[in-house]
This record gives sequence, structure tokens and C-alpha cells, in this order.
Amino acid sequence: MALRDTAIIGYAETKIVEKSEHDVWALGAQILETLLDKTGFEKGEIDGLILSSSMTGAGNCFWSQTTADYLGLEVDFSQTVDVGGSSPNGALARAAAAIDAGLATTVFLLFADTQSRENNSRLRSFANEWTQPQGLLGPPAAFGFLSKRYEHQFGLNYESLGKLAVAQRDNAVLNDNACEKLRKQITVADYMSSRMIADPVRLLDCVMVCDGASGLLVTSKSRAKAKGIDRWVSPIGYGERTNFKSSENVVDVTVSGHSVAGERAFKQAGLAAKDVGSFHPYDDFIIAIMLQLEMLGFCKHGQGSSFIQEHGFTWSGDLPLNTGGGQISAGQAGLAGGGTNLVEAVRQLFGEGGKRQVKNISNAVVTGIGGIPYARNWGTSTVMILTPDA
Amino acid sequence: MSTMPNDTLSVERQAPTPRSFSRSYWEATREKKLLIQYCRKTQQFQFFPRPTSIFTGRHSDLEWREVSGKGAVFSYTIARRGPEPFRGHEPYLMAVVTLDEGVNVMGDFVHCALEDIKVGMRVKPFWAPLPNGTNLLMFEPDR
Repeated sequence: MALRDTAIIGYAETKIVEKSEHDVWALGAQILETLLDKTGFEKGEIDGLILSSSMTGAGNCFWSQTTADYLGLEVDFSQTVDVGGSSPNGALARAAAAIDAGLATTVFLLFADTQSRENNSRLRSFANEWTQPQGLLGPPAAFGFLSKRYEHQFGLNYESLGKLAVAQRDNAVLNDNACEKLRKQITVADYMSSRMIADPVRLLDCVMVCDGASGLLVTSKSRAKAKGIDRWVSPIGYGERTNFKSSENVVDVTVSGHSVAGERAFKQAGLAAKDVGSFHPYDDFIIAIMLQLEMLGFCKHGQGSSFIQEHGFTWSGDLPLNTGGGQISAGQAGLAGGGTNLVEAVRQLFGEGGKRQVKNISNAVVTGIGGIPYARNWGTSTVMILTPDA
Repeated sequence: MSTMPNDTLSVERQAPTPRSFSRSYWEATREKKLLIQYCRKTQQFQFFPRPTSIFTGRHSDLEWREVSGKGAVFSYTIARRGPEPFRGHEPYLMAVVTLDEGVNVMGDFVHCALEDIKVGMRVKPFWAPLPNGTNLLMFEPDR
């Protein structure tokens, strides 16, 4: 099967910064060099390139082609995945499919964005007619609606969300690549008193847009073995859903496409939520983590806040979660930010988590969220399950 | 004590450029009429305007129907930090409203104190003029 035959043989990431001094392609070059150093592969052995979405790259509709040119890569397979924060997970799934189909043997996955330094996006969407004239402040307002609706349906203990925010900060303090501004411990009281942005979404619910890059080198297990590599991480389950409940006008925003993507991924992997070694959910807003805990079956729908009260989520907790701090506490590298949590999961499964190494490295689950649609929760939901040395 | 949010009516909004398939909506707002798309085949409304029926995938199933704009609050948020040109006009209220025809519409919410808005509250349309003679759909309490 395509997924299980795939070997992630190396990972790399830059430090995440508020505003990069370096061009996005310079960050890409840094990721490429690290991957070559780590795996012993030569540049000429890379025959596939898959990029995440990128606000910087959004000004160029030849993005993967031009990036290949700047990095001196001659490839048989080249594409950009355009499902926003879900695109790093999506890139890994597409790399596995491309390798399985014989389109490429060794694929460089690059997640690079310098949204803060250079944002070239001009989004053609519903916004110009249906949300800009109304003054909707994009994602924070969308998550304000979602949170208020969740509160109406189930009640919501905001201190539970605060507990997640605190746990991610504790993790970020141990992550040298996290944005320095965010590497300061916070308390639940700090969370509760942080200023409202779009009620009930507070400042400490939100990601901070940053610049940074990460990446993976992916090949087949047989190719890895032939190169004398004996350690890798493999995807064993994947689910992706775009435009969940597309034909409904009034959707329950407390239910996401992760319900179907998660079921598919867990079924492929032969695992259930109770088996998860570490969880790396996409975190643009804290409540998104809670919703994903519910959607993936860690707890029942509507019971996220009591589940959070009963469990520990730092790297040493019973459910280690975003052990590098997640995007909210490490910084969101634009649309490449999904790579931060994906690379952290791979790092943990290689046993290279250092001071924040989790105990259970039998598997890790990484999710993605991409795009904010009209009066719904999010556009694309992905769930990727990884295991070491499979 | 109640806090009245900004009604944002003094914000200098630009009228949006309609798409080829949303022109009928915007034209109708000149007379403060709310037209939304209706799929004859499945007998359901849809919002926002699309180039095809989101139920059948066939454009030919669509027609425009005038509706009252009355409905109930599905959810809401208080914008504490708006984008330009709303910066400086905060706080203002925004709501997702479920129209009686079964579609969710997002809009500014006016003439209601911050403490008074509730999920489920009945609402009616309030039209705010745009520079080109069209009107922007907002909502207010239907008391």
C-alpha cells in the first residue's frame, strides 16, 4: 500500500521568527541542505518536489516550477498543494501516492512561507462581496462565531481552553526553534485576562503570523534500504476531507471534516484514539484543538472541556500534544505552519525530542486545518498517522 | 447598564464588485429587496450566490426568490479589532443569522446592546446604503 511503503528519512526546520531577514527561497535552500546532510542523499537523487501553500508564493502561479529552478532541482514530479494549513499533511500523502505510482522515487517536501516579510496573496473568494463590506476580521471572527455557537450548544469552560494554551507554552519554552517572543510561560489567569479580539476569542487563543520553513525528505522503504538507511518514519493512515457538508446551508460548526478524515485514517492504521502516542493537532485557535479531540474520538462530542480538565498535555503528560508548542506558541509560519506540527511529530518518532522527548513513540497523529469558508468552520480537514521503523 | 456597540454606519464602505452570477442579488438591494437563490429540483434555498445549485450541480435548477430576511441568530461575535476601514469603530456586533428559509447569512448587527444579543433571538433586515446606490444587508432585533 502506498502509505506504508513510504519512508520519511529526514526532517528539517528553521527557527520561526516574527519577520524573516531572509528570502523564502533562502529558507528553502537551508531546509534542502539540512536534509541532504542528514540523509546522505545527493541533490541529483531528488526527483520530486512538493510545496505547501505559501502566502509569499501566492503571487506566482508557477510556484513549484520556479522554486525548483531557484534550488537547482531537476524533477519528474512537481506541484504545490493548495489546501492551506492542511497542505503539509496533504503534501506527504501526495508524495506517497506519487512514489507508489512510479512518478518519482525521492520527493523533497518543502513548507516555506514568509507571510510576515512578503505577503503576495490576493484571495479570490467570497470575501469581497460577503464579508469585507461587513467588516469581518477573517479567522478570529469565524472562530468567535464558532466558539459562541459551541457555548450555546454544550456550554464551554474557557479555563479548559486556557489549560491547553498553558501546556503549549510550556512545550514551546523547551523548543529552541520556537519564536522567541512566545517562549514565556503563561498561566490560566493570563489566558482568561488576555484581551478580547472577537468575543469570546481572546488574544491568547490566536496564532501569531510569523516566517519560517520546514521540510521532509521522503522515499520508498526499498530505496531507503538500498541506501543503507535503517531508520525512518512511515505514514500508516491518512484521511482528507475538503468542503465537508458542502450541500448544506446551515451546518453544525462544532462538527468538522476531521470526523470522517479521522475515521478513515484510524481504520487504515488499525488504531484508535486511545492508542495515540502523541497528538499534534493543527492549532490556529485553541478551540480548534478541543474540537479535534472530540472529532477524533478522544472524547465525546461536546465533552471536550471536561476531557481537557482530566488529562495532561505537556510533553510529559498522558496525552502529549503539540510538543514543540504548536503554532500558537511556536509561531505560525504562514500557510506553511502545518509543517511545524508535522515535523515535530516526526522528530519525536525518531526519538530526537531532546528535553521534550515523549515516552510513547509507537505512533503520532498529526492533523491539518485549511481555509476558512463562509459561515462554516474550515475548508479542509486532514488526519495523518505516523509510526517509526514500520 | 447596557453598552451600545458602534453601528458602523459611518464607516466609508466600498460597494463590492458583483460576480456575473450575483448581479441579481445586488441589483435587488437598490430597492431593499432580498433575493436569494432557490433550487427548484430540491426545493431548497442557498446562500451566498453560487454559479450552480450546491445540491444538484446544475445551474438550470436555480432561480431567484424574494424572501423577508427574517430569521434567528445562529451565533454572534463582538469585533474588538476590525480591519480597515473599520479600525477605530470598534466594538461592533456581527451575527450569523439563520433565515426562515434555512440559510445562514453573516452580517453586521445593529440597534442592540452587547448584553442583549442572544443565540435564537428573532431578527429582521436593516439595509445600510452603499455609495453606488445598492444596499448592504445588516440585521437588527425584531422586537
